[in-house]
Amino acid sequence: MVAISTGRMVRIEGDRSARARGLAVLLVGLLIAVSLASLGWGATDTSLSGVLRDLLSGRPISQQDSIVMLQIRLPRLVTGILVGAALAMSGAIMQGLFRNPLADPGLVGVSAGASLGAVAAIVLGGALPASMAAVFGWYLTPVAAFVGSWLCTILLYRIATRRGRTSVATMLLAGIALAAMIGAVTGIIIYKANDAQLRDLTFWGLGSLGGASWPKVTAAAPVILLALLAGPWLARGLNGLALGEAAAAHVGIRVQRVKNAAILTVAGAVGASVAISGGIGFVGIVVPHLLRLVSGPDHRWLLVNSGLLGASLLLLADMISRSVVAPAELPIGIITAVIGGPFFMWVLLRNRGVLDL
Amino acid sequence: MSVIAEDIRISLSGKEILHGVDFSAVAGELTAIVGPNGSGKTTLLRALTADIGYRGRIRLNGVDIARADIAALARMRAVLPQASSLSFPFTVAEIVRIGLEAQGQRDDNLIRQALQLVDLPGFSGRLYQELSGGEQQRVQLARVLCQVWQPVGPDGPRWLFLDEPVSSLDIGHQLTIMRLARDYARRGGGVIAVMHDLNLTAMFADRLCMMKQGAILAEGRPQTVLTDETLTAAYGCALRVNVVPQAGPWLLPQGAGA
Amino acid sequence: MKRLLLSVALLAGPAAAAEPHPDATRVLSLGGSITEIVYALGEEGRLVGRDMTSSFPPEAQALPDVGYVRQLSPEGVLSVKPDLILAEDGAGPPETVEVLKNAGIAYESIASDWSDTGIRDKIDAVATALGVPEKGQALADKIAQEFSTAETRAKSVTEPRKVMFIMSLQGGRIMASGRQTSANGIIHLAGAQNAFYEFEGYKTVTDEAVLAANPDVILMMDRNAPQANKAANGTDDHAALREQVLAMPAIAATPAGKNGAFVQMDGLFLLGFGPRTGQAALALHDAVYGTE
Repeated sequence: MVAISTGRMVRIEGDRSARARGLAVLLVGLLIAVSLASLGWGATDTSLSGVLRDLLSGRPISQQDSIVMLQIRLPRLVTGILVGAALAMSGAIMQGLFRNPLADPGLVGVSAGASLGAVAAIVLGGALPASMAAVFGWYLTPVAAFVGSWLCTILLYRIATRRGRTSVATMLLAGIALAAMIGAVTGIIIYKANDAQLRDLTFWGLGSLGGASWPKVTAAAPVILLALLAGPWLARGLNGLALGEAAAAHVGIRVQRVKNAAILTVAGAVGASVAISGGIGFVGIVVPHLLRLVSGPDHRWLLVNSGLLGASLLLLADMISRSVVAPAELPIGIITAVIGGPFFMWVLLRNRGVLDL
Repeated sequence: MSVIAEDIRISLSGKEILHGVDFSAVAGELTAIVGPNGSGKTTLLRALTADIGYRGRIRLNGVDIARADIAALARMRAVLPQASSLSFPFTVAEIVRIGLEAQGQRDDNLIRQALQLVDLPGFSGRLYQELSGGEQQRVQLARVLCQVWQPVGPDGPRWLFLDEPVSSLDIGHQLTIMRLARDYARRGGGVIAVMHDLNLTAMFADRLCMMKQGAILAEGRPQTVLTDETLTAAYGCALRVNVVPQAGPWLLPQGAGA
Repeated sequence: MKRLLLSVALLAGPAAAAEPHPDATRVLSLGGSITEIVYALGEEGRLVGRDMTSSFPPEAQALPDVGYVRQLSPEGVLSVKPDLILAEDGAGPPETVEVLKNAGIAYESIASDWSDTGIRDKIDAVATALGVPEKGQALADKIAQEFSTAETRAKSVTEPRKVMFIMSLQGGRIMASGRQTSANGIIHLAGAQNAFYEFEGYKTVTDEAVLAANPDVILMMDRNAPQANKAANGTDDHAALREQVLAMPAIAATPAGKNGAFVQMDGLFLLGFGPRTGQAALALHDAVYGTE
C-alpha cells in the first residue's frame, strides 16, 4: 500500500468543508448587507447615504443625523450582532455538548438562570447608593446574569450526566424542573415588585434591542467577544464528542476540559446577552439547525457560521420589530418566537423517530 | 514494546468485576481476549484503554496510561468501540477524518485508502446514520485505522484495541477485517481484540487470553488454549475441538478462499 | 460615564420645577394624564405625538403612538421630531432619555402622586413647561373647585364605607388594590376607605382575606376595550360581570355582596389622576354612597 499524497487540495466526496467555507463567505456578505440596511433604516428620516454624502462633500453632519447614527443605530447594530452571534453559537455549542439538536439555552433553563441573576442584580443594585449603582450598574447586571446562567448550566449538566453519559431525557426534564424553580424565585421577586416594575419585567422578558447604548455594549462586549472567540476553539472537541465521550477521549480530546470550557462559554455568552437585551428565544435552535442542513454538523464551520447567521437574523428580526408598529416598536422576542416556534415544531416532527426517549 | 497490565481490579457498584488480572500483549502479534458472556472481557479492554477507573498498573509501550497525556495516548493507540451512536448527520468522510486529525494528519488520501481497506470504496459521501450496522462498524474501523495509520511510529509500535470488531459483519467482511488486523500486526503494530467467534480467533490470533468470572483462565497460543478441557471449563458445556459434524451442511471461515 | 452619573443623579433627585418653553411647537406627551392636561389647557394644537396610555380624549388617539412609556425607542421618539417632551416620571429607559436629552430636545419630567395637590402641581408643571401659566391657573382653579366640593361631601360622611378595588379577575382570583396605588388615592378622595391597607400595590388576595376585609362596595374599572376587559375579567359585559362578581362565594357573604353594591367606572377617568379626577372623585362618592 503506497500512500500517494497529491497535496491537500484533493477533496474527497463527503467533505463539506469547502461548501461550509463558501457559506461563511456568503454569510459575511449577508451580515454586511443587513448591517448597512439596519444602519440606514429607521423611524427618522436619517439615511446612511445622506450621512455619507455629507461626509464625502465635507458638509457638517446635522445634530440629529449624528445622534441617530452614533447614539442610536450604531450601538443597536453592535448589540444586535453580538447578541445574535452569541445566542446562535451558544445554541450550537449546547447541542454539541448534549449531543442533541434540540438543546437550547432558552429551552433548558440557562436563560432563566441568566434572567434570575439579572433580576436579582437589579433588585440588589437598587439597594446600593445611587452613585455606586451608576458606577457598577451596567457591569453588575451582566456579571450576575453570567453567574446565574453558569450555575444553571453546570447544575443541569451534573444532573443529566451519569457515568460519563448525558441523558437527553434527564436533561430536558431537569431543564423543566430547573426553569420552574427559577420561575418560583423570580415570582417572589415579582410579587415584591410594584406595578410599573411588573410591566418592565414583562417587556424585559420579551427581549428588545431598544435599550441599546454604549455603556451597555462596553459592559457586555468583553464577555461576549471572549465567548465568541473561545467557541471555535471548542470545535474539534465537540466533533469528537459526537462520537460519544469515551470515543472522544480515545481520539485525544480532553473531554472534561472541553465540557467545562463549553459550559463557561455558553454561560458567558447567554448571560451577557440576556443582561443587555432580555429574553430572546429560538435563535439558538433555528440557526444551527438550518446550517447543519446546508453544510453538515462539522463544528469547525458550524460555530463560526452560526455566529454569522445568528447576527444577521437578529438584525433582520430587529428591523421587523422596529417597523411593524412604528414609531413604537414590538419586543424582538415576539418576532423570534413567531418565527422560531413553528420552526421548532417542524424540527420536532422531522426528528420524531430519532427523539423517542 | 508491549502492553502490560498488572493486578487489575475493577469494582462496579461495589461489586468486584475483575479480580487481580495480569495481562500482557506484545507488538507484532494479534492478541485475542475470549470468554463467555459476563466474564469481564470488555471490562478488561476498557481498563486497557483507560475508559474506567481501576486499581493496579497498566503500561503501554512503557508509559503508565493513568498518567499519560490523552493526546499522546491517542497518537499511540486507537480504539474501536463495540457500538457507536452518532448525534448529528456526519458523512462517512467527516467521521473518518476525526481519526486522521487525532494523528495531526490532513491527507485526505488516507481517508480514501482506509475506506478501500474496509471495503467501503465510494462511501465517503454517504451519511453515517443511513448506513447499515455492519457498514457503520466498518466506517468506525476506517476511522480507527486512520488514527494509527503507520503500525510503527517514531516512538515505537502503535496499537489497535478492537472491541468485537466483527460482531455485526457477514462472513466475507469478517474475514476482510480479521485479515486487516493480522496484517497490521505483521507490519509491526500491536492488536488487542475482544472476540466472540472462536473459529475466527483460532484462525487469526497469535495469542489468546481466555477469561472466566473476572479472572484469566488460560493464556497462550491458540492450540494450547483451545482445548476440550479449557473450553468446557470456560463455557460450562461439554465442548470438543476439531470434531467434524456427522450431518451437514456446515461452514467454517477456515474453508474460505483468499 | 460622567454623563451617565449625571443623568442618574438627575433621575434620582427630586423633580425640579419645569422650565418654560413657550416657543415649543412640536410637543410629545408621554403619560395619559399629561396628555389630558394638555387638551384641558387647550394646547393640543402643539402636540405631535403621544404614548400608548394616552387614550383620552379620543382625538388624542389620532396622534402617532411612540409605544409604552417605560420602554421608549429613542429613534421612534426622534421620528416625530419633538422640540419638547413632557413625560410623567418613570418614563424611560434611562438610556433613551439620555439620548433624547443629548439630541437637544427639551425634556420635562413631570412628577405625580395620587392626591389632589399632586394633580394641581402636575397641571402647574405642564402649563409652565408649555409657557401658558395663566391657562394653568384657570384650570387649577376650576379643578380646585371640584375638589373642594368632593372634599365637602367626603367630610360629610360619618360612617365611611369600605371599597375593594378589583384590578382583575383572572381565573376567579381577585387581584385587589392595597396602599400606594391610584385606586387607593381615588377611594380616599371620594371619602371612602380602601378595604385593603395591609399591602402595597396590586396583589392577588385569598377568599378569606376578602371576607376579613368585609368590603361594603366592589369597585372595578372598564378598560374601554373589549379584548382588554375580557383578558382582565373574563367578560366585556357589565351586567354579566356584576352578576359574576357578586356571586363569588367570598364576596357574596360581605355587605357588598348582600347589598349588590357593585360599581364599574371608566379606567382612565377613575385612575388617570388628571384634570377629570375631581369629577371622578365626586362620581365615585355618589356611586359609593348612593347620593346621586
